[in-house]
Amino acid sequence: MLYDVRLELHYDYKASVHGDRHLVRVAPISIPNVQRVIASSLSFEPRPEQETTFADYFGNLVTTIAYAGRHDHLDVRLTARVQVEDLASPVDLSPTPDGLRAELLALWSVAPDSPQHFLSASPRIPLDRDITAYARALAATDQSVYAAAMALCLSIHRDFRYDKDATKVDTGPVEAFALKRGVCQDFAHVMISGLRGLGIPAGYVSGFLRTIPPKGKPRLEGADAMHAWVRVWCGKHAGWIEFDPTNAMLAGPDHITIGHGRDYSDISPIVGVLRTSGSHTAKQSVDVVRVE
Amino acid sequence: MDKRNQRQARKRGAPGLVADYKLLPGVPDEMIDAAGQIRPSWLPLISALDELGSEELTGRFQRADQYLRDAGVYYRKYDGAEGKERAWPLAHVPMILDESEWLTITRGLTQRAELLETIVADIYGSNQLVQRGLLPPELIARNDEFLRPMVGIHPASGHFLHFCAFELGRGPDGGWWVLGDRTQAPSGAGFAVENRVATTRALSDIYGAMHVHRLAGFFRGFRDALSGIATDGRVGILTPGQHNETYFEHAYIARYLGFSLLEGEDLVVDNGQVMVRTVSGLQPISVLWRRMDASFVDPLELRYDSHIGTPGLTEALRRGTISMVNALGTGILETRAFSAFMPALCKALTGRPLELPSIATWWCGGAAERRHVIDNVDTMMVGSAFATGLAIEDQRGTVVGGSLPAAERQALLDRLETEGGRFVGQEQVQLSTAPVYVEGKLEPRPMTLRVYAARTRDGWSVMPGGFARVGSTQDSTAIAMQRGGQAADVWVVSRQPVERVTLLPTEGEKLVRMSSGSLPSRAADNLIWLGRYAERCEATVRILRAYNARLAEVSDPDQPILKDTRAYLDGLGVDAAVPLPPGLLAAIDSAVHSASQIRDRFSPDGWLALTDLRKTARNFAQRVAPGDDSTRAMTVLLRKLAGFSGLVHENMYRFVGWRFLEIGRRLERGIQIAGSVAWCTRKGAPEGALDLLLEVGDSVMTHRRRYSVSPGVNSYVDLLVLDPLNPRSVRFQIAELHQQLEQLPGGIEDGHLSMAAKAALTLDTELRVTEPEDMTTARINRLRNEIGNLAGLIADAYFV
Repeated sequence: MLYDVRLELHYDYKASVHGDRHLVRVAPISIPNVQRVIASSLSFEPRPEQETTFADYFGNLVTTIAYAGRHDHLDVRLTARVQVEDLASPVDLSPTPDGLRAELLALWSVAPDSPQHFLSASPRIPLDRDITAYARALAATDQSVYAAAMALCLSIHRDFRYDKDATKVDTGPVEAFALKRGVCQDFAHVMISGLRGLGIPAGYVSGFLRTIPPKGKPRLEGADAMHAWVRVWCGKHAGWIEFDPTNAMLAGPDHITIGHGRDYSDISPIVGVLRTSGSHTAKQSVDVVRVE
Repeated sequence: MDKRNQRQARKRGAPGLVADYKLLPGVPDEMIDAAGQIRPSWLPLISALDELGSEELTGRFQRADQYLRDAGVYYRKYDGAEGKERAWPLAHVPMILDESEWLTITRGLTQRAELLETIVADIYGSNQLVQRGLLPPELIARNDEFLRPMVGIHPASGHFLHFCAFELGRGPDGGWWVLGDRTQAPSGAGFAVENRVATTRALSDIYGAMHVHRLAGFFRGFRDALSGIATDGRVGILTPGQHNETYFEHAYIARYLGFSLLEGEDLVVDNGQVMVRTVSGLQPISVLWRRMDASFVDPLELRYDSHIGTPGLTEALRRGTISMVNALGTGILETRAFSAFMPALCKALTGRPLELPSIATWWCGGAAERRHVIDNVDTMMVGSAFATGLAIEDQRGTVVGGSLPAAERQALLDRLETEGGRFVGQEQVQLSTAPVYVEGKLEPRPMTLRVYAARTRDGWSVMPGGFARVGSTQDSTAIAMQRGGQAADVWVVSRQPVERVTLLPTEGEKLVRMSSGSLPSRAADNLIWLGRYAERCEATVRILRAYNARLAEVSDPDQPILKDTRAYLDGLGVDAAVPLPPGLLAAIDSAVHSASQIRDRFSPDGWLALTDLRKTARNFAQRVAPGDDSTRAMTVLLRKLAGFSGLVHENMYRFVGWRFLEIGRRLERGIQIAGSVAWCTRKGAPEGALDLLLEVGDSVMTHRRRYSVSPGVNSYVDLLVLDPLNPRSVRFQIAELHQQLEQLPGGIEDGHLSMAAKAALTLDTELRVTEPEDMTTARINRLRNEIGNLAGLIADAYFV
């Protein structure tokens, strides 16, 4: 599947800011057998005085921008053409949770992709007794890890209501779980917390999702959104498998990956340090267009 | 006294200091050997102390404490939200170590420092140790001290570790054990120096006779090493600021070694290079000896909630433009569970065993180790595998199974079974004892040694000394300073005379001059405010004194001049009805606050004078009555203020920092004088206002001498506003300001004056050509505002 992705982030500062510095993580990466970035361009307005790009620990593309002078707004614009592979649904090769535990004990690696990084609490995801109990209630002991993850994915989709106003960007999974409401980020965080509570390595995936308009309606410009889902380590044979609890499905050819992390904090689209006393407002628009 | 001790007391002879020294059963003592004899290395000290007698000794120890108070040595103790400053708890009797024993420690710690360097380089590099099965992956992957952004960054200096501290204890077998490694940002080296100075104040004669190894050589070696890795010669000490527990020490070390003391907000990253915001603009810096935990250093890439960091520092590290001492991420080596793997790591990496063993530690992530800890849980210290503090100091997180109620003990066992990887068990340490002086006698207390190692050009150098921490009771867990332990100097004694080293340059050494423009903007800002607050205090005290003197005479507070003066003070936020108004106390507090942020920039005497002023003022506030009593109190405060100004003014080198202090003083004095002249010479001012003005302006005698008749207010305006020779006139302040502003960096460039210097010159010229009769009240008030505007221009030019 070939896509053109366009993302615009717009920030208006109430008071003008200066000496600010941001990390921007919005550009998709190439992942062997998953997706290939054919072209990608990131631009900023006003033009930053300093700009560098590097790959972070998890392999995500990060652009650092810095301003010395004063300005009252910031626009981030990404355009990218990405080829996403249409993979066949995975065959369940995953072990039981006990089998997985044994595999993990034998896995002497802390490489960035190693599941060892994705087992415990991370900056935005605590292990929580209630969330773990919720996940455990769904999983039978003889069930495979894949089945346990899928059960949790479907269950979150069933029990939670998608509600843009219920949570904010810094809402934690414990609160979202209590509300049983939220957006993709909340669903992903809850699912990750539950899986880690069961001893299953789980990480956060940030990306874009193509939305298909209802039959007979035209596609709305900018109506697509940044999206988040979950990847689960299903043992050494199955490897990482991606689940989308917001849509009760495996991630597929409509999911375009920006990058990976332990939680939102590792791959948030923009992190900044501002020297300002005022607040700001933000706007976001995303278009994912299928090219052929 | 039991039989054994009686025998010991007899053996030691006279009923002196050690007569009642009761050894703890089964515990080795530093001073007394197994046979009950004073060890040879201690003998000279103990006999000398005995000879002095307890009265003389108590007096000498008080002198040591006095020195520490005078030098302002403190640490911060946390018992609530805000920490309180506490006097440094010096244990007066030094701990004696024989040189040969010291060499054993030195060899062991050198090996250990090298080993730690290899381990941390691997953790942030190729991760062979995990792959080879020498370090469990979860101790890294689940560790908050594993800083992922640092992976793959090779330190610009070539090394991760430059300065480490080790906590040692002597075990029952007489050998030394490493209780913990401090690799993050070890504190206390400066306290070791102050301990030495204080102890030798009390015992200089004994110290001189005993061949004690000096500490200065160690610091000299490290200073030279840091200067050596600074590509452009600039080294800074990065401190979290004055609220930190050991801020005093940061300031002390900065002063002692001649490095800049910097806070996160003093730094900015410009195109990948770390720059210091100074009064001469941005200046590059290439080595930061950090005294803050790594994750706080950069709010952008490390801890988002850090308010004390510098955004972009991580990027500078990625680009290799700055050396961090120690590298960010080295805190992972402090992880308690690592102790369990040190013996095997040493064997695997060096082919040799550890020369100084680690405290016996079992990580419960391994099945056999978990079993061992569970079987021995009642006698073991069990705590978090990821803790970074010493088990014996960790009151909340570390428990001994046997001391727990049954239910908690069972809960602990359950957790060990299910999540063993989160726990370690450590052997309960039985520390050796060392003597402390308590009410005329020596008593044994448990002791640990804190030893420092620094990387120099010639490899690791171990400080011959450091400090010993002794418990407040015989319980070995009462060592931590936060819980009331004490710190003793450590004397490493040689049989031969030792080299006397100093930090002063020796003959033939190249003289390096520091540039004058490198004053951080924040420090300059604080200096200005210190000058302003000190002057504001003085002005307020003078008016209050004049007010209370008059009140004492007439004792009718409704007299017009008294009412009028109260109204004026009220405008300054000072309630003259109170003998020592809160507004004055607040100004004194503000002066102390400004000074506390720049402790590295002026002398301990100046600091002491200022804190003494505050103490006196607070004391007065409790008990002074209006009128005569208050007049006398104000005179005392005035004298103390003069003492502070004199100490600072007469002793501070005329560097750019002094200029800012002076500018602050002149600004405030100009504003205050102009304010009181305008008030007292205004139409409708009550009778006596002009006399009061002269008194407040300290110009009574001059006025009498210079003006034979005084028709109206002109002579007062002339003397206190326009006179170029009266150090209390407005014009005098402005002329001084103009001079100082020209001398500041950028004050004159290519013949052009800075905005601030230009504004000062304009005011000066105006005052020069104005006659007293044209100086109306409105004009004096405008003048007062203009001086205020000058302060704004200075801030714009130097502090943004």
